[in-house]
Formats: sequence, C-alpha cells, structure tokens
Amino acid sequence: MRLILGCLLLLTSCIRPDQAPMSVAEMDLKLTQEWIYATLVDDVKYNNEVITRPPGFEQLAVSLIIPQAGGLVDKKHCVYYQVPYKEKVGHIRVQEIKNQTECPDSTTDDKFFVSLDNVTNFKIAVANYKIIMSFDFNKQKAEITIPTPNVELGLIHEKYRPLTEKRLISGLRLLKLSDDSFDFASNKYLGQLSDRFARGTAIRCQQVNKDCQTVGENRCEQCRYGWYEVVDFQCPQGGSKFCGQNHCGEKNEPACPRGIKVVDPLDAGICQSDLEPVANADKILICQ
Amino acid sequence: MLVCAVLFGALGIAFFYKNRNETLKPDQFVQEKASFMRLFQNSSEIHKLWTEGEESREWSLIKTACLKHLGITTKFDETLLRCSPVLLQCHELFSKNLTYKFVNFEEFDNSPYRYMTKSNTSYTGLRDPGVTVTIEDLKTKKRMDVFLADQCQEVYLEQRAYAYGEPVDPKDGEDYRFDNFNRHLYLDTHLVTNAEVNDWLKFGNPDFTRGIKAKKENDLFLPATDLTYTQMENFCSFKGKQVMLAHFFDAATFLPMDLSEKIPAKNTRSPYYWTKKASDYKSDCNLIYSKDCLAKKPYQLNSIGPTWAGMQDSMGGVFEVFRNPIDPESNLRASSFYFDSKSSWHKLGFRAGWNGEGFDLRDFDFRGLNPFVAIDKFQVGFRCMREVMQ
Repeated sequence: MRLILGCLLLLTSCIRPDQAPMSVAEMDLKLTQEWIYATLVDDVKYNNEVITRPPGFEQLAVSLIIPQAGGLVDKKHCVYYQVPYKEKVGHIRVQEIKNQTECPDSTTDDKFFVSLDNVTNFKIAVANYKIIMSFDFNKQKAEITIPTPNVELGLIHEKYRPLTEKRLISGLRLLKLSDDSFDFASNKYLGQLSDRFARGTAIRCQQVNKDCQTVGENRCEQCRYGWYEVVDFQCPQGGSKFCGQNHCGEKNEPACPRGIKVVDPLDAGICQSDLEPVANADKILICQ
Repeated sequence: MLVCAVLFGALGIAFFYKNRNETLKPDQFVQEKASFMRLFQNSSEIHKLWTEGEESREWSLIKTACLKHLGITTKFDETLLRCSPVLLQCHELFSKNLTYKFVNFEEFDNSPYRYMTKSNTSYTGLRDPGVTVTIEDLKTKKRMDVFLADQCQEVYLEQRAYAYGEPVDPKDGEDYRFDNFNRHLYLDTHLVTNAEVNDWLKFGNPDFTRGIKAKKENDLFLPATDLTYTQMENFCSFKGKQVMLAHFFDAATFLPMDLSEKIPAKNTRSPYYWTKKASDYKSDCNLIYSKDCLAKKPYQLNSIGPTWAGMQDSMGGVFEVFRNPIDPESNLRASSFYFDSKSSWHKLGFRAGWNGEGFDLRDFDFRGLNPFVAIDKFQVGFRCMREVMQ
C-alpha cells in the first residue's frame, strides 16, 4: 500500500509542478488582453529568428511597457525563453514588473504572468505593429499573433495635412479606463491655467543650454494646458519651453519666436510694438 | 509491484492524453480571444467612421434620422462631421445590425462618449485631445475602451518664410517677416463650433465655463460667437491649444507668390487669399461671404473656399478674433458679413480691434470705418492652434 501511495505521489509531482499547466490558447488570450495595450516593445534581440543559443539558458526575448488599469502608471512585461538542452526543457515565461525598471537577464522568482513548458524552436517577430510568436509546443506548431495599436513610432508632419501618427491606425488608441482615470487628485499633468511666466509660476518643461543641448528630461508632452517656446540661444531645434497658456509678446512675458532665417538673430523675438525684448538671467528674451 | 506497474501504465496513458488535449485550443479561450479581436475590429470601424465623417457609408444611412433627432433643418458643411462626436451619437442611436453597443456614461446624461483632454483625465501618455467610447460585445459582454484622437480638423503649416500684416510700402520701411522653420504648427481649419463648446461645457472644468449656455439644433454647426476672449483662451487651453496668433493666420492666408521658394527675397502678397493679383478682386459669395451674400444664401460655416494652406473662412462671415503679439489692438478680422463687398475691410492683414468682453459697437474699434448697420450684438468667432513636438 505504501508503495502504491509512493508511486502516486511521484506521479502527481511529475504532472503538476507549482501551478496548473497552461494551454497555448490560454496563454494567447492572457497575453492578447494585455499586450494589445502595449505602448512600447523593446529588447528584441532576435527579431524573426529562431532562438537556438545559448542552449539550456534562459534569456530575455522581448519586453513591453503596458499601462496598468486606469492608465495612471505603467507596468512591464519581461518575456523569457529557455533554449532546451538535454534534460532542460524549453520554456516561455512572462514576468510582470509593476514599476518600469529594466528587465533582469533571467526570471527572478517563480511567479509568472504566463508560463509554458516543452517549447522548442521559439521565434518572436515584432513588425508592422504586431507581435508574432511562433514555436513548437509538445512537438506541435503554435503561433500567437497580437496587434499593438498603441505602439507609436513617431509622427508624420506633412504640409496641408492633419497630424499623422506612425502607428497601426493613426489616431486610434485602446485605453484601460477605470474610475481612477478620471480622479482629478491623481492627475499628474503639469501646470495650472493661471500659471504665467511673468509671475514666475510657469513650469519649464524643456531647458536648452547655450550649447544647444537639452538639459534634463523633455516633459512638454505632460503639460496639462499645452506648452510654448521661448527665445534663448537661437538653437536649431528651438529654445526652452514652458507649460501653460501662451502670453508671449506681452509685458514681462517671453518674446515669441520669430525665426532666424529672415531676420537678424538680434531680432529673433516678437514683442508688442511698445515693448522691447531684453534677455533675462537665463538668456530668455523678455518683453519689457 | 505488479499493481504499481499497472497504475503507472494507466496514469501514464491518462497523462499522455491530458497533455495532448492541452495542445488543442480549448474553446473557451479561443472564443474569448475571438470576441476580443472582434471588439478591436469594431474599434477600427468606429475610427473609420470618425475620420470619414460625411463620406462614410453609415452617414448616408442614418443622415435623415440623425438630423431629425438633432433638430437640424438648415444646410451645413457636412465635413464638420469628421472627428465629431455628434456623428458617433447618431451612429449609436440609428445604425442597425451592430455586433456591439456603446456603454453610456451615466454621469454625463448617458452620453455615449466622453471628451478627454489632459485637463480632465489622469490617464497618462495622451498627446492629443479626443473622444473616448466604451463598446461592449453583444455576444460576450466583453468591453473595450477606445480613444479617437481629435486631429482631423487641423492643418500643418508648411515651414517657410512669411510676412505679417498688410504689405508695407518700401518707402515706409520693411515688411514684418518671420519664419517657422523647425517648428510643427497645426492650425484649426475652421472656427470653433457650438457643438465643440458644448463638449467643453459638459466635460471641462465648470469653474471656467460658468454662465455659458449650451446650443442646440441649427446652431450646433455654426461658429461659437458669444464667448469672451478669456473664455476663448480657456476653451483652447482645455484642448492643449492656444487662440490663433495673428501672424500665423496671415501665414496661412496670404498666398505665396512661388510655393517652391521657401525663403523668397521678399514676401510679396496680394490682399486676397485666392489670387496673386490685387486687381483680381471680385464680389463673389464663394470667395468672401460679405453683407451682400446674406440675401443670396444663408450663412454657414466653411462657406467659402480654403486658403492655400487649407484654412477655411479666412474672409467674410462672422468676425474672428486673434491674439496679436505684435499689435495687440489689431486683433479682429473685420472682413465679415457686417460689411458689403466694396468695404475696405475685405483685405487680408487689415484688422480692427475688439476689447474681448462685449459685443456692442462700443466694444470694437473699426478705425472709423464702422458698419452701416444697427447691430445689437456682433458675432465674434475664434479658432485655436497648437505646436507639436517632433
């Protein structure tokens, strides 16, 4: 009897590791429901190539940035693949990291968003705003295709045309809304409607130095009520920028950029006709 | 020992079959994925309707019912339906055989959409303002939140050298020139409509919209003309934009003499947006909607042809206010239906003044060229513009 129980125990441990085995269909669904919201797909080492090396080792195959429910903060999915070797089976594992730190080189614990064993010939292709994973699972071919409509690869500015985004469908985005999305206390966008440069309350969202380098992070996309550029070092990429309502040209406000191709750099600021542009301590032209 | 071997064998067979079933896609997961992808497909169809507007197949099917529902009996420029939530509302009410439904927002009078900007949502990573709808798959009740960027009614201003105001006689000095190289400017093609202001009233901060009344029926697609200048500024700020600057309006309206020459030696320009020759002026309601036109056809938004840069209603119609950082008191396009076709106000770059607060004659400075009409309340429209990072 003891022998039978021993055999059963041994067998059970073979069938069930620490969690129920996942099917490809289940993995497909779980990943689709998250990855379709991804805003960035990164760390693609072997795009559209079967990963064959190093055998027996787990490695990062791709990482994705995905908004958490409500869209207030992002999380990261780190996708790992272990190339099979001898007794080590090939596996796909996805770990979810709540903050946006770098994905470790390999999985750090045994908590997985998805996990699939007995995988070989794993290949991941990131192209045309889609992620395609193909592999053999228990010696059967499998493929998972997930569109990534939220991934944006830049903008297209074209005369006579509206703004076009380089994404699967320009102007379309999928959101993960919750009540938190509309909780004003959680609004992290920058600036108030009453902010004014003249009062010293406007937030500088991009600082350009005299060498025309951007100092620190450019946060202008985070301005709640838009942003405006000032005239400082006549840099080719423009001057420093501030969040809020634009009052350029008015008294004690920055001069508006006039460009430098048709006027002398000394006249590069626009002020109301009764005011003169004067450089302040930050070399920003102010109308006084 | 024999019992154990038999047990091993039986369980081994069971294990083999179990694993084999796992490789097949269980129906539940496959169906759920299919419903998810169906919602995504529906999202892209809604986006197509959003951008195609009056050219969409749906509009041709629901137009009659929609206009009746909205109480619109007069003609309007139907291109205004592009990127307009009004069309989505009608789609929700009147389109048939949809496999999804819109989830209504109870807190906003059961509106099927919500206008989202950085000022009314905490959702990170938004660049443009736009509309959010939540759709629900009728079969599985699964939902998807879809954001539609409000960017079809803007136009990119080409990077080149421009000039501000009326041409200056060489004897009197030089033209006021400027350029927008390395800047990405998007200008509203049309004046802000009452329908757009209604969305601001519904979804914006009530502290900034107090006292403004929502408009309906035939007024929906007419320009919003009873806001004070501060309210106009706040409207544009709600969308992350600013009130149109006078010199960029000039840039988008004065017809360049040579489109291939981005930095001409001089910015020679005609006072009319459709011609390079000042002598080509003619009284035509399709070019300037002046006072003479009121008796010929009813006023509507986008009543004349666009400028070279794609901007509508650059002359005639209602007044239009700008922010003028050069001559702040010349902030009003007076070319309008308050002046007949022979009026000297019908010239690009020639501007009157408005104090931004009232709508009586005393609130305007027409430089002595007052309109010969008794008007209780002048109508002043506006449009917005924005700069976009690369």
